[in-house]
Amino acid sequence: MIKLNPKLSQKFSYTLLCLAAILAIVPVILMVFIIIKNGASAISWEFLSSMPKGGMRSGGILPAILGTLSIVSCAIMVTLPVGVCAAIYLNEYAKDNMLTRIIKLAIVNLAGVPSVVYGLFGLGIFVMFLKLGVSIIAGALTLSIMELPVIITTARSSLGSVPYSFREASLSLGVSRWQTIRHVVLPNAIPGILTGAILSIARISGETAPILFTAAAFYVPHLPHSIFDQVMALPYHLYIISTQIPNMPKNIIYGTALVLLMMVLTMSCIAIFARIYFRKRRKW
Amino acid sequence: MVDKIKIENLSCYYNKKCVLESLNLNVVKNEILGVIGPANSGKTTFLRTLNRMNDFDITYSRKGSVYLDGDNIFDIDAENLRRRVGMLFAMPIPLPMSIYDNITYAPKRLGLVTKKVDLENMVESVLRDSSLWDEVKDRLGASAMKMSGGQQQRLCIARVLAINPEVILFDEPCSGLDPISTAKVEELMVELKEKYTIVLVTNNVKQASRVSDRTAFFLMGKLIEVDKTDKLFVSPKKKETEDYITGRFG
Repeated sequence: MIKLNPKLSQKFSYTLLCLAAILAIVPVILMVFIIIKNGASAISWEFLSSMPKGGMRSGGILPAILGTLSIVSCAIMVTLPVGVCAAIYLNEYAKDNMLTRIIKLAIVNLAGVPSVVYGLFGLGIFVMFLKLGVSIIAGALTLSIMELPVIITTARSSLGSVPYSFREASLSLGVSRWQTIRHVVLPNAIPGILTGAILSIARISGETAPILFTAAAFYVPHLPHSIFDQVMALPYHLYIISTQIPNMPKNIIYGTALVLLMMVLTMSCIAIFARIYFRKRRKW
Repeated sequence: MVDKIKIENLSCYYNKKCVLESLNLNVVKNEILGVIGPANSGKTTFLRTLNRMNDFDITYSRKGSVYLDGDNIFDIDAENLRRRVGMLFAMPIPLPMSIYDNITYAPKRLGLVTKKVDLENMVESVLRDSSLWDEVKDRLGASAMKMSGGQQQRLCIARVLAINPEVILFDEPCSGLDPISTAKVEELMVELKEKYTIVLVTNNVKQASRVSDRTAFFLMGKLIEVDKTDKLFVSPKKKETEDYITGRFG
């Protein structure tokens, strides 16, 4: 065995650890750089606000942007209330019994299911069994189930970060459990819950597989009229124009990727700023 | 001498381990009952049983009965009981809201006071009763978390007074406070017994001798002795009591 002297081994391991950490930011920077370099030329007001033209080889991506926004907002409207209610139940009321343990196990497993399986599940349940057809609502419901475990987990940890002593102080005044949750616990957990929700929105905006069979269309010549319409969606549109359409101008592909990336990054940034803002305002 | 609280054969357990053994004790109306004893003597368990704050602990179980004005507290609704039996914790726990909201929080939730004028009057009166009014009257909207420890504890007293309880339980209320704040809280307790019945659990033997009318000495989950404070401190009947109050152990 080679024995390094302590100083040298310290230097060696420091360099190694530091390099590993730096390695994590390299792909992010590279990806953003390449996408901006190739796609920035495609971005214009027209690109963001008009329909695709010429077999999608020119024109804009408005329907795809709107499609993604409508699927994602519907999904979060379903998953957030359900997830928060479930988290409140698990964190504040549930006793440690068989049922609770099964629920927790199910949540963990739900989080581990591959997204394409959710897509097939959504196809089976929402599109075919409930006869919603390939539509915004079917895609949103599929995404909301996929996101449920994440929402529940982040909401639970936000609820758990509210000191137990606040609950005790409130309960000791004869205030009921629900009023304590409603007026003391929830107001102090909401910043964390919201940040989690925004990050979830960012995550599901980029999901392709779950909406592949449930909501996304190859091409729709008009904007969606209702939640029962099929829509184009950014991630799926990106997949189509990069693989299915010959002679696709490169800058439109990268431009579309750039729009999707910006949507996701903006949402993550909002979440980060919200967290900083609420942390400063936190009173304990 | 009317008994406000009567405890009969009360035993408490955590995970089946007995921490309080067949306790028989009474609390007289408008007195301060001091409870002293070393760590693990069951004082806090005893106190938290009186307003059933222990009910939230799933490992906790109990036997026996406690009567508040003749009603068995284990038969009445826990939330109702806590409204009648207020509690102060060892560390002051203001809620993360303004001074004003801290006081109006429970009365609003319980529907005791609803009109704005009544709320304002109530806030002033309880802050006066907890001798905090002059210090905070100009900043009722400020966060309660920014007050000093002593002020926070008096705010917590004001908050308890706002629900107009019959009994107030003090769980080592001065353990985190400086001597001057401690003196203020002690003064307050003596003033409060005019209207309320008080049970004071304390680690500070001298505090019990200063403020309580009667003192109970707990050891290893058993009540060793209870008597008028001056009697217990001057001529304790049991040797354990004497050892503890003279500082030979604990």
